[in-house]
Amino acid sequence: MNFNLLLTVAVSVCLIGILLRLYVWVSQGIHPSSVAIALPERLSAAGRALAGALFGPRLITTLKSIVLDLLLQKRVLDKSLLRWVAHGLIFSGFLLLFFLHALDDQITARLFSGYVSTLNPYLFLRNLFGIMVLAGVAIAVYRRVTLRPQRMISYASDWAALVFVGGIILSGMLLEGAKISSYSTFERMVADYGDVADDAEQLALEAFWIKENGLVVAHKKVEVTADLVEQGREISGRSCVECHAPNSSAFVSFALAKVTGPMLAAGDAGAVNFLWYLHILFCLSFLAWLPFSKMFHIISAPVSLITTRIMGKENGEPANVLTRQMVGISACTHCGSCSLECSSNMFFESFDNEFILPSEKVQFLKNIASGKELDNATYKRLQQGLYICTSCDRCTNICPSGINLKELFVSSRYALFDRGIPETTMLSHFSFPLALAQLYAGDHFKALKKVEQLFRKSFTALADLARPLTLGKGQKYTNSSYQSCYACQRCTNICPVVRSYDNPAEALGMLPHQIIFSLGIGKTDLAMGAQMIWSCSTCYLCQEHCPNQVELCDIFYGLKNAAIAKIEEGGRS
Amino acid sequence: MKFAFFQGCNIPVRVEQYADSTEAVLQLFGIELVRIPEFNCCGYPVRNVDEKAYVVPSIRNMAIAEKAGLDIMVICNCCFASLMKAKNVIDRDQPLKDEINAMLAKEGLNYGGTTRIRHYLTVLHEDVGVEAIRKKIVNVCKGLNLSIIHGCHILRPREITRFDDSFVPRITEDLVATTGATSLDWRGKMECCGAALAGLNDELSRTLLQEKITGAQMAGADFVTPICSYCHLQFDTTQRHMVKESGAPVMPVLLFPQLLGLCLGIDEGRLGIARNSTIEGKNIEHIKSLLGSPVEEKKKKARPQAA
Repeated sequence: MNFNLLLTVAVSVCLIGILLRLYVWVSQGIHPSSVAIALPERLSAAGRALAGALFGPRLITTLKSIVLDLLLQKRVLDKSLLRWVAHGLIFSGFLLLFFLHALDDQITARLFSGYVSTLNPYLFLRNLFGIMVLAGVAIAVYRRVTLRPQRMISYASDWAALVFVGGIILSGMLLEGAKISSYSTFERMVADYGDVADDAEQLALEAFWIKENGLVVAHKKVEVTADLVEQGREISGRSCVECHAPNSSAFVSFALAKVTGPMLAAGDAGAVNFLWYLHILFCLSFLAWLPFSKMFHIISAPVSLITTRIMGKENGEPANVLTRQMVGISACTHCGSCSLECSSNMFFESFDNEFILPSEKVQFLKNIASGKELDNATYKRLQQGLYICTSCDRCTNICPSGINLKELFVSSRYALFDRGIPETTMLSHFSFPLALAQLYAGDHFKALKKVEQLFRKSFTALADLARPLTLGKGQKYTNSSYQSCYACQRCTNICPVVRSYDNPAEALGMLPHQIIFSLGIGKTDLAMGAQMIWSCSTCYLCQEHCPNQVELCDIFYGLKNAAIAKIEEGGRS
Repeated sequence: MKFAFFQGCNIPVRVEQYADSTEAVLQLFGIELVRIPEFNCCGYPVRNVDEKAYVVPSIRNMAIAEKAGLDIMVICNCCFASLMKAKNVIDRDQPLKDEINAMLAKEGLNYGGTTRIRHYLTVLHEDVGVEAIRKKIVNVCKGLNLSIIHGCHILRPREITRFDDSFVPRITEDLVATTGATSLDWRGKMECCGAALAGLNDELSRTLLQEKITGAQMAGADFVTPICSYCHLQFDTTQRHMVKESGAPVMPVLLFPQLLGLCLGIDEGRLGIARNSTIEGKNIEHIKSLLGSPVEEKKKKARPQAA
């Protein structure tokens, strides 16, 4: 097939893909319904931000970011030297190959007047850069495999990216190796450039190239004698070396040729042809795949990093917050750095919900941003994953792409609450930092009401009982310390929450001692439904002051756990 | 002496000055604090939801410290209580220990139970010692009135935390005495700041906080000194939200290592005093105006006795 046609198709797909993804930057966003901003407003805000970053005093920060964040990749270095080495090798090796080799006609030839691809340093450099990329890929594979126990999750697409990058380099090296050993390539080049007088000279040249340059000749027997080689060296010196450095400078391909040469010798022309297609196919499909994959980070991560260098964790214009969110989501490479140090990583182990890990949330939030409808179970898991977060900001501080994960997760949390699915983990202390930050306070309150309603629906309050209480047949409560209660009510009298209300019995449903009483008569469910357990400030004063060592506060924790478990159970059945 | 420094989730991002000032003070006594990035949340936030999920994270943290051959020093009360609780639970529950250890083994960790959990006040009080502190004091802060609020989870339940006498705590009193400041006897000293209810029931949480703010004001405190980082955030952040709405006067916050640091002659910038958001220039000036040489104090006391 025609190379130019393939190239045109690949480049077109790539460009269209990039345009689509840029459109997503300014058209999508994750936010509670209270925030909605139209496209023109977002475009003009993005324009203002861009102008601000390029003109005026911020330009210095931008330039600093280009050097530190983009070229030196400081954020990666700060966290892991190994990752920095791996990414640096791939990044620099690949880029250098792209300019030196893929765009040699357009760039290298123009910069260096005597450029010939078979001359040094080019012959050597291609291999050096190639081996750099391969080493980087090898470290990346090693990292993904060895970090699996530390909750590093890899998708097929993560492996695909490594296969593509490694495949491009390997196929290129194999191609070069095949050309080194190929007799038909040799013949063609001699015909095109060589200065060979007769068959004897041809034979001598072949002997020299077999001895020194990895040529493999299978169809006839060439006696490689020292004399012949010396003769060949002379001919080569006169007709080849001007444009062709010794093949051994392409040290990897040359070594490969030693292995593959004898294997391919019979069909060397076909092999060269096949490997050329393989190499081109790898390159062009990578190009077409780039904008639709995590490799798009080549474009989005620089934007995200510069933005973060300028803005830090602060939000700028509201219209830009959403755009920055979408740039961020598209800059995620699923490297897993955030999840490795996520404070909530052990909750991931306990709750069996991969959305607790930040890397998995970011990857999935694309679906929410694009407005894709998901089933309720998925929403619920994502919502829980978003809520089981200590707000420690470690992920935001670590992210090598500089994504403002903190903002993304806060917005996403409240955007999902808009759907009205009650989130029981709101009743945990994960709510504390949210209360401090006072973001989306109205949305938070509304979502909390949903959970309260669910509780009211699931349990009967003492005040709603139509008939007098009778002894329950229920089993004994697990923490048996309640059995020591002798009804002195010291717990209720010392409780700071009880004293905070004018009519505590009404506000709290049941007072601390009444909860212990209800356990005493086997009414665990009644205790689970009391507002008191959720109003308990967990100060442990009651427990400390109880003359009979009733572990009130611990019992309340247990009741809270049981109540949530019961509700979640009910939700599932 | 060397400890694995456990800061929890709040301090590194919201109360950095607590870690910095503690580190500065302890450094003066040759105590090295090792920061371990692998530490995860202590588990506390999830306790309302699932008590097993609450215990697991602390076990991993102890296993990490154990691998590093270090004891853990904690500055957050809730982290302290979680670590102590987890230790208490797992040391009595072999099947749970086996289960968690099997999980930890995947990442090369094991909980054997050799790591000790120390609160930084215990480190100051026991490992450094009040006398050693006194010897290094270069200033005392006579006339400064503090409302110490211990925070609940360091004192109670006493069987778990084993920090101090839960009814008559002495550690804080002894330590504050080294600075010359007065620890006021006030009604909120051992009570709840309301943090555990924030985000769940803000109204009640703020009622409890307001009760403490009023209590400190009525006792004539110059500063509230919270031991717990959650209390600190209630007084230093939530109070600001409340004041914005009510216009009431602000009760400024001063952390204990910040005060001790000043008395030990540590630079106030390093102690991060100005980073407490409730503190103003005039508050800092006030503390500084009270700072005086400890030797003169002794002399003053000595003279009337001699006469």
